[in-house]
Amino acid sequence: MGQGLEKGSVRYSVQVVIIGGGATGVGILRDLSLRGISALLIEQGDLAHGTSSRFHGLLHSGARYAVKDPISAAECIQENAILKRIAPNCLVSTGGWFVQMPGDETDYVEAWLQGCQEANIPVREIPVQEALEQEPLLAKDVLRVFEVPDAAVDGFKLVWDNAKSARRHGGRYLTYHRVNEVLRDGERVAGVQGENLLTGEPFTVESLMVVNATGAWADRVAATAGASLDVVCDKGVLLAFNRRLFQRVINRLRSPGDGDIFVPHETITIFGTTSERVDTPLDHQPTDREVQRLLDVGETLLPGIAGKRLIRAFAGVRPLHREDRELTGASGEGEGREVSRTFALIDHEVEEGIKGFLSVVGGKFTTYRLMAEKASDWVAGKLGETAPCRTAEEPLLPALSERLRRKALALLPCAAAEKMLERLGQEAVAVLETIREDPGKGQLLCECEMVTVAEVEKAVADPDAHHLADVRRKTRLGMGTCQGAFCTYRALPLMWREGEKYDPLGRELIRFLNQRWKGIRPILWGEQLRETEFTRAIYAGLLDLQDKGTTTE
Amino acid sequence: MWDGLVIGGGIAGLMAGIRAQERGKRVLIVSVGTGSLAFASGVLDFGRVELLRQEEKHPYVLLGETAEKAFSYFLQCCPSHHGVWGRTGMALTPLGTLRAADLLPEGLDASPLTHANRIVLVVPEGLKDFFPEVVKANLQKQFISSTIQLKRLRIEEFVDWQAVGKPIPDTVYAKFWCSEQGRETLKNLIGEMTRKMVSDSETLVFPGLHVAACPEVEKILAQAPLPVVEMTSFPPSAAGQVLYDRLRGRFKALGGELLIGSGVERVEVESGQARRAIVKSKGKEISFTAKAFVLATGGFFGRGIVASSTEVRETVFGLPLYVPPEWSESSFLGAQPYAYTGVEVDHSLRPCDPVTGKVLLENVFVVGRMLAHWDPWVGHCGGGVSLTSGFLAGGLL
Ligand SMILES: Cc1cc2nc3c(=O)[nH]c(=O)nc-3n(C[C@H](O)[C@H](O)[C@H](O)COP(=O)(O)OP(=O)(O)OC[C@H]3O[C@@H](n4cnc5c(N)ncnc54)[C@H](O)[C@@H]3O)c2cc1C
Ligand SMILES: Cc1cc2nc3c(=O)[nH]c(=O)nc-3n(C[C@H](O)[C@H](O)[C@H](O)COP(=O)(O)OP(=O)(O)OC[C@H]3O[C@@H](n4cnc5c(N)ncnc54)[C@H](O)[C@@H]3O)c2cc1C
Repeated sequence: MGQGLEKGSVRYSVQVVIIGGGATGVGILRDLSLRGISALLIEQGDLAHGTSSRFHGLLHSGARYAVKDPISAAECIQENAILKRIAPNCLVSTGGWFVQMPGDETDYVEAWLQGCQEANIPVREIPVQEALEQEPLLAKDVLRVFEVPDAAVDGFKLVWDNAKSARRHGGRYLTYHRVNEVLRDGERVAGVQGENLLTGEPFTVESLMVVNATGAWADRVAATAGASLDVVCDKGVLLAFNRRLFQRVINRLRSPGDGDIFVPHETITIFGTTSERVDTPLDHQPTDREVQRLLDVGETLLPGIAGKRLIRAFAGVRPLHREDRELTGASGEGEGREVSRTFALIDHEVEEGIKGFLSVVGGKFTTYRLMAEKASDWVAGKLGETAPCRTAEEPLLPALSERLRRKALALLPCAAAEKMLERLGQEAVAVLETIREDPGKGQLLCECEMVTVAEVEKAVADPDAHHLADVRRKTRLGMGTCQGAFCTYRALPLMWREGEKYDPLGRELIRFLNQRWKGIRPILWGEQLRETEFTRAIYAGLLDLQDKGTTTE
Repeated sequence: MWDGLVIGGGIAGLMAGIRAQERGKRVLIVSVGTGSLAFASGVLDFGRVELLRQEEKHPYVLLGETAEKAFSYFLQCCPSHHGVWGRTGMALTPLGTLRAADLLPEGLDASPLTHANRIVLVVPEGLKDFFPEVVKANLQKQFISSTIQLKRLRIEEFVDWQAVGKPIPDTVYAKFWCSEQGRETLKNLIGEMTRKMVSDSETLVFPGLHVAACPEVEKILAQAPLPVVEMTSFPPSAAGQVLYDRLRGRFKALGGELLIGSGVERVEVESGQARRAIVKSKGKEISFTAKAFVLATGGFFGRGIVASSTEVRETVFGLPLYVPPEWSESSFLGAQPYAYTGVEVDHSLRPCDPVTGKVLLENVFVVGRMLAHWDPWVGHCGGGVSLTSGFLAGGLL
């Protein structure tokens, strides 16, 4: 156990350190920054490196929890409305349906309607005939269909928009910095120390308070301060299809189970999920068995699902906070789902006498803002700060001007312009200026996701980008149907120009290909297999690149 | 009644057709598409044949002996390609790195670079998927003692493309050099380079130019006092297209017939003999009878084999396949088990049952990427296996 502050080569000093750059962590960073409290967030990877980019992307209406978990349901519908107001750029209000299929418990419907009413979730029944006209791929034997205000959320964008908003209000963050230890000074925490993973340099932060928002890693981080936490790692597998199979979120109307949600995102559809206890948050490789199981279950809602083109499979690890009493009696498959998804704030002073140390675990992406509000209230209270929370009113981004939209439409094809504005918001100004000066940079580098050369150039030059994968997440490069066969190559010279920062020809490119490959391996059949032959022909054949034992992580 | 019906007109199918036609047989090639050649760079690899013959069941175990003959035969069919058996050549990749190459289109031979004091890299403005800075840096890494210079080339004809920011594909540039203005521009450029030549060990690296595509260009370059080295290009590539056109032209010149754009739906079989191929064309079913058949449908990429989440299927005859127990490995560019999927064959390339080893069809020969037990990208033998098996099948029809 570290006593006092160790000597590190880089030192920072702030009121509050937040560990973890997922939705919860950046939410807290923004909240504290808006209250004028100085805060520094430390993330070991890129922002949203953990579960916040490996999830379903559903902004819950709460209806899924209406029967089992009324508190979660009420929190979700409340946050759903708030986020639609403050983060319209990160959401698409697709709406969602709950559909009952033959064989699903009939008395569940009544309990569900009751639960929704109690949680204030608006529900409207859609006649089956009308539903089938609007969603022609939906199984023809549906029994009943209800509409709720579900929406699709771009997790990565929401996380970054929070970080950028925080930065505008004085908040700071460090990516690729890992906290190795929460430091103590007697009963109090004194800060954190860790390593800059890009340079290998140690760093130390002095602070009055430490907030642990490391999701599925939270127990490990807490342990470094001598605190204990019980976090269950619950893996969920998701499948991405190459097109928009449904126009809205489709949920199965039954007790929550495996493979009962489809969420449309832009041009693709994400389907899942499963629930399985794992030992570590790093265990996010989908297995063939899980993929097959999802396809088997999905057949009920979407007949012929196995013949639809898959582009990748991935998994995330839910951080579920376990309180012992909630676990008694729960066992067997799907036990992870029995643990409450309502979040927990753990004040380690109350638990084990460590002052100034808070852990925030559990919850959902949908409720990240509420978790952040509660955590920030606690911090503000301890610091004696009285400024109120403003995150429920203050929009994440300033609204886009009509002029900017017109300029984008004049320079780019309509769909490409809209997509870029969605991704970049106000930051599109600089990209558009580049394209105006040099029309060549308006070329689409990624044809699947319609990303221009100028936009990739900007992402590459961003001081927050350290790997090709960071650029990918910022621009969605390589996320479409071709999974990077062409655009990976085209991004090379742009990375090259940044000189020292990247090594695109050696490790970096192969590492990127291997990362993409990880998501394709579990669904290696049909068109994606054909694409694989082609991509290998290009990179191993034509370009003659060889993997000399680089790792994926 | 045809002597031979070749299903699939990629490199393996075309080789089979050419050889059989040359032996006086009447051959029809039916192909859905034009195969993978147009995506490839025109370079054909044989790999280390003797070493690969040691691998259990690798196609070279059966084909290895014939590989050299197939190599020479190919050079006869395609005199614009170069290669010496047993002496691997060198070509530049689109990244400017050197890679081994056994058979390569004339002009791509990169060996002059090893003696060059000064390398001038021509940068044709707007050439698609060509990155001069990357190429320059890679050249410098490999030829440490040479000076490397960029020579930007602005072409009037492409000003409009530039204005709207449209990149110019390799195939369009290749056509341009064959045109009258193109040849004029090229002559002027070579003249300018000659005047400015500082030493006699200069070499020009010229992406987007393909002498193999045009004899006139070849003549201009033959008079140049300095060697010109071309580059392979990112797909689709002009050099691959030229190779395809050559092989197809050769087959037709020999009297072979081609039906492109339609696929063989199925083949009717009677007592171990394939009889009639059913082709769907413009909504109608047509049937062709033949004495023998070549299955050259290109594996997963050609769609001769398709996989679903639960099964792997050969699409024309429904032949049983060798399917590896593991399907993939973590290193994308390393050996991938799935790639070994294919049809097992006997010494005469006839399909066998992978369990019993029994010959399944007496008059069907399986070639190219349809064969089991190889990964072209690890063995560097994609062209070699396809050419050799096609050549062999052409002798059996
Ligand atoms: C398959 C799946 C589907 C889901 N679908 C939905 C959905 O549709 N809707 C919804 O609302 N919710 C969904 N969830 C839940 C939701 O994704 C999570 O609750 C949420 O993303 C958790 O965010 P977080 O910030 O708490 O954790 P994370 O996003 O995991 O953030 C924790 C961060 O801490 C970092 N970290 C860990 N240790 C250290 C250290 N020592 N130093 C520095 N940094 C460290 C990690 O790198 C990570 O980035 C889903 C979850 C899963 C697994
Ligand atoms: C990007 C790329 C790079 C390459 N680079 C190299 C290289 O560097 N070196 C090298 O040696 N080789 C290279 N190759 C070539 C590689 O070796 C070929 O994949 C191999 O030669 C396979 O040739 P094939 O004739 O068996 O199949 P293909 O060329 O794929 O031809 C198969 C043909 O069969 C047709 N077909 C399929 N089903 C039917 C049906 N039912 N009826 C009728 N027709 C049908 C298809 O439409 C296709 O036209 C490359 C290939 C690609 C794609």
